[in-house]
Amino acid sequence: MDGYTDSDWNWDFYEELVDDVDENRNIIQCIFCGKCVGDCPATKVSNFNIRKIIRKVLRGDRSVLKDSDIWYCYLCERCRRVCPKDNINIPLLIINLRNESFKKGYGPRYNDLRKYVEMSERFLTNGTVLEDPLDGGLLPERMEELNEICNFARIKYVFKASKHKEKKKKKS
Amino acid sequence: MEAVNLALNLDEIERNYPGNPLEYFKDKKLCLFKACLEKYFPGVRWGIQDLLEGLDLEVSTCANQSCCSGTFFQRNLITRAQFAAINERNLNEMNRQADIVLFSCNGCYNSVLRGRDFLKFSEVKKKTQDLLNIFKEKEFGENYPGKYDILDNPKIRVTHDLDFLYLIRNDVLNSLKFDLKGLKVAAHYGCHYLNLERDKKTVESYLRDKTKLDEFISLFGGIPVDYQEKEECCGWGASQIVIHPNDALKGTYKKLKSAENVGADFLLMPCPTCLYTLSKPEFRNEISVLFGEKLDIPTIHLNELIAILRGCEEERCITLRRKTPRLDEIFEIITKE
Repeated sequence: MDGYTDSDWNWDFYEELVDDVDENRNIIQCIFCGKCVGDCPATKVSNFNIRKIIRKVLRGDRSVLKDSDIWYCYLCERCRRVCPKDNINIPLLIINLRNESFKKGYGPRYNDLRKYVEMSERFLTNGTVLEDPLDGGLLPERMEELNEICNFARIKYVFKASKHKEKKKKKS
Repeated sequence: MEAVNLALNLDEIERNYPGNPLEYFKDKKLCLFKACLEKYFPGVRWGIQDLLEGLDLEVSTCANQSCCSGTFFQRNLITRAQFAAINERNLNEMNRQADIVLFSCNGCYNSVLRGRDFLKFSEVKKKTQDLLNIFKEKEFGENYPGKYDILDNPKIRVTHDLDFLYLIRNDVLNSLKFDLKGLKVAAHYGCHYLNLERDKKTVESYLRDKTKLDEFISLFGGIPVDYQEKEECCGWGASQIVIHPNDALKGTYKKLKSAENVGADFLLMPCPTCLYTLSKPEFRNEISVLFGEKLDIPTIHLNELIAILRGCEEERCITLRRKTPRLDEIFEIITKE
């Protein structure tokens, strides 16, 4: 028993996700065989359970967006390889769910994103995620391109947060 | 127009150049994709560059290439269109200077193919081109080099180092000075090599067991050993090791322990991200704290191993900062005349 009744069931959530990413349409083919769960590296070390996540989506249960589980996916694509059905793209569904979660303000905890501050800063200042890359970073005059592409992306806000913090530090 | 899959057709080359696939590459310009994590393992880049130059192939890197940005896409910090635009920008730059791009990193290789894959959705494709158009509208000057379009039919093709090296394995073998002297080696392929569908032409090639690394171990004179966690993730897990380190390190521990249990002398892999996860001293220390066991099995990238087998100087193959007594021992065994 999964605790759902017929009256809980609706397609609205599924339709929204399909509207956003057309490929999500294929999750309706899921036969809940559990092969993805059995072979999943995240399931082995956390409560991540893709079968439950798909069931929630198909039941129209939006609480999945609040579940911390969706942030445990390794995006390793093993589930795609073992799935007996064609074209169910679970990693893409997870990315889509995380996006919706972000939009609703549930997102990952600040502490998790904080670990991306330095990487975001390096990417938007020298085009790589590490300090002192092997052959130097992208030329400064070409950095504008990456910054333009990333305008209004979350990476920009994470980057700005790092600058804001730096200023505060200097002031104090 | 449907975006062209850029994966190099290795089967076709094998068919058209039976016995001598290297010939296909003789008049081609090769470019090595710069993976961020090569910073910690310069032997990964240098190993293949030195080999290719030794085989008289034209090889370069692209100064204007940025990070693949997979890390940010996987954490939803950029959109599909932004990810695809960063990818097309890199491909445009490399298309200007090369015919074939080689990838030492499973993650970067997957990112480039995934970025192209997204272009099959017309909405994402339009947004991607809109992002690229920004540079055209800016007043950078007529000669500004950063003017890009989605490459609908580019000359450039991409391939993974492991697949490329396997294709030209006879020439690789002919260039070696040493062999593995019967060392037991555990192969780790990495999730984004094992599970990658985007570069496969047939379902069979996607689903069948991947054996090229094991075959290399045998060809190099070593013994490939099977181990329970062979197909498991290294623990990186799309940055899970950064976000949920204690959970992710469980996988890393099990993998290392499993290879040690079957008596492997070292782990061999085709990806610097897996190499980073499986070898970083801080992670090894954390594992010994969490699981009460100090694991010291060495880890080597295929490109580094080829450099060692070719008799290159030790510090060029394996960075000195990574040296451990057991890694040193492996080097000494292999290079003993």
